[in-house]
Amino acid sequence: MASNAAVPFWRAAGMTYITYSNICANLVRNCLKEPYKTDALSREKVHFSISKWTDGKPEKPSFCSVFIRSLHLPDMVANL
Amino acid sequence: MAMAALRREGRRLAPLISPRTITAVRSSPLYPTLEDEGPLGVRHISTQVVRNRMKSVKNIQKITKAMKMVAASKLRAIQTKTENSRGLWQPFTALLGDLPSADVKKNVVVTISSDKGLCGGINSTSVKISKGLHKLNSGPEKETKYVILGEKAKAQLVRDSKKDIELIITELQKNPLNYTQVSVLADEILKNVEYDALRIVFNKFQSVVSFVPTVSTVLSTEIVEREAESGGKLGDLDSYEVEGGETKGEILQNLAEFQFSCTMFNAVLENACSEQGARMSAMDSSSRNAGDMLDRLTLTYNRTRQASITTELIEIISGASALEG
Amino acid sequence: MLRRALGLLPRPIAAARARSFSTDLPAAHTADATFMEAWNKVMPNMDPPKTPLSFMHPRPPTPSSIPPKLTVNFVLPYDSELSTKEVDMVIVPATTGQMGVLPGHVATIAELKPGVLSVHEGSETTKYFVSSGFVFIHANSFADIIAVEAVPLDQIDANLVQKGLADFTQKLSSATTELEKAEAQIGIDVHSALNSALTG
Repeated sequence: MASNAAVPFWRAAGMTYITYSNICANLVRNCLKEPYKTDALSREKVHFSISKWTDGKPEKPSFCSVFIRSLHLPDMVANL
Repeated sequence: MAMAALRREGRRLAPLISPRTITAVRSSPLYPTLEDEGPLGVRHISTQVVRNRMKSVKNIQKITKAMKMVAASKLRAIQTKTENSRGLWQPFTALLGDLPSADVKKNVVVTISSDKGLCGGINSTSVKISKGLHKLNSGPEKETKYVILGEKAKAQLVRDSKKDIELIITELQKNPLNYTQVSVLADEILKNVEYDALRIVFNKFQSVVSFVPTVSTVLSTEIVEREAESGGKLGDLDSYEVEGGETKGEILQNLAEFQFSCTMFNAVLENACSEQGARMSAMDSSSRNAGDMLDRLTLTYNRTRQASITTELIEIISGASALEG
Repeated sequence: MLRRALGLLPRPIAAARARSFSTDLPAAHTADATFMEAWNKVMPNMDPPKTPLSFMHPRPPTPSSIPPKLTVNFVLPYDSELSTKEVDMVIVPATTGQMGVLPGHVATIAELKPGVLSVHEGSETTKYFVSSGFVFIHANSFADIIAVEAVPLDQIDANLVQKGLADFTQKLSSATTELEKAEAQIGIDVHSALNSALTG
């Protein structure tokens, strides 16, 4: 990567392009009229569990979190 | 109707079966009547066991039929989604090409499998292909790690490739699959592994009975730039003008992330679709098997019943003729 | 921004893309052949897996003259909005500003920002609001537009846009961390783009 100035503000804040594009998409979906809104928001339920392994063992045996992510935005939690 | 008749028949014969026969019968459940004829003077042949067996086969058939129906309806929903998502990866392949043979240091094999079983051989195909890629890309100064999606591939790979597992992701299909979910997942993968090339292994859905094991390759920005500079297949990338962003590298970085999440999304959907298709055909053939078995059992049952009736008749007739004589 | 001259130059990439048709490009198959060979050496008992290239719809090579129409693929994760549709022009919201794409446009990769994408076909114009994505314009007058979310303008609720804009403006002033600031900034960007799409 080049100098900091070349980085868009969201990457400088620690976001990735995927997060950025998801936030944009979520905001657009939130501004839709009904019934399109409900339909579009049903496309963003996030649920999976992930565990990191090192040297043939799960890193922390209990670390197997199920997360329903709100993409950081507090007011979006209600939609998920 | 036939079933009701059989049940009545069974009730009539039930008290005639001695306790000893029942235990003997249990040990050889399918064709017990042949050996059990005779001892203790019991001439009536037991039909209880065959009837139980028939009942259980019939229940199994009901279950597999129901599972087939469930798989079929799930397949219908997911197949539309999969077909709609097929446009998504094509632009990337058109632009960045397809380089399964790229020779890089850090390889990551992303194996996509299902969480649930009873879906034919699709999971073991994924695992075999992944192991092949692992073999292909290992050597001195090269390393290959696994990122596993789904319980089934986990179960198989934990056995002999424990050391190379980097991430395991499960419970993906609790909700209907959607892009946001897969992209968050892709983001998680990108954050947690270092890679030069990501090789996504999945079963591409073609029809309910055919699934094509497929490998999609996503290269990191550095490798894309290296390949583009060295000419070759990606040499044409330099002829593209890049709009926006300060540097080409920045756009390519965003592009690589976006490519991975789009490719993953299609791959996860294709695999889920193959899973439902495979389950549907597996359940279909087991319902058919259960049907065949039921036919055979009914035949055995009727024969036995007939034999016992014949025996009774002979007894009566010979008794009567003895009296007459 | 309507550059077309460069599109006339013969370009190897377009030829490479039409590999399933052209026989004059043996190089197209070599990379795959290397893979197949390597695979067969390591795993002789198993067929090599397919790669996406074998499922690609073939694309035509760069024609010598500029074709009259632009072929557009506009894809979303959940739908293919346009699929190899021939149109006169598309205007895409690139990060550097609105960019008009006509047949024969120079090969370009551009990132999209939230904004209006319009597809011109004869006298008809279809407008979408796209959240973000990428556009690739190829030398053979093919344009691939990939967006995460795209909606027709008439499905957007103007009141919600105003409310969102106000919310995020307020959030930006109260934001403390870098991340919160960036989120609020994205919020403002998206909502003002929505706003100008509706009013403009």
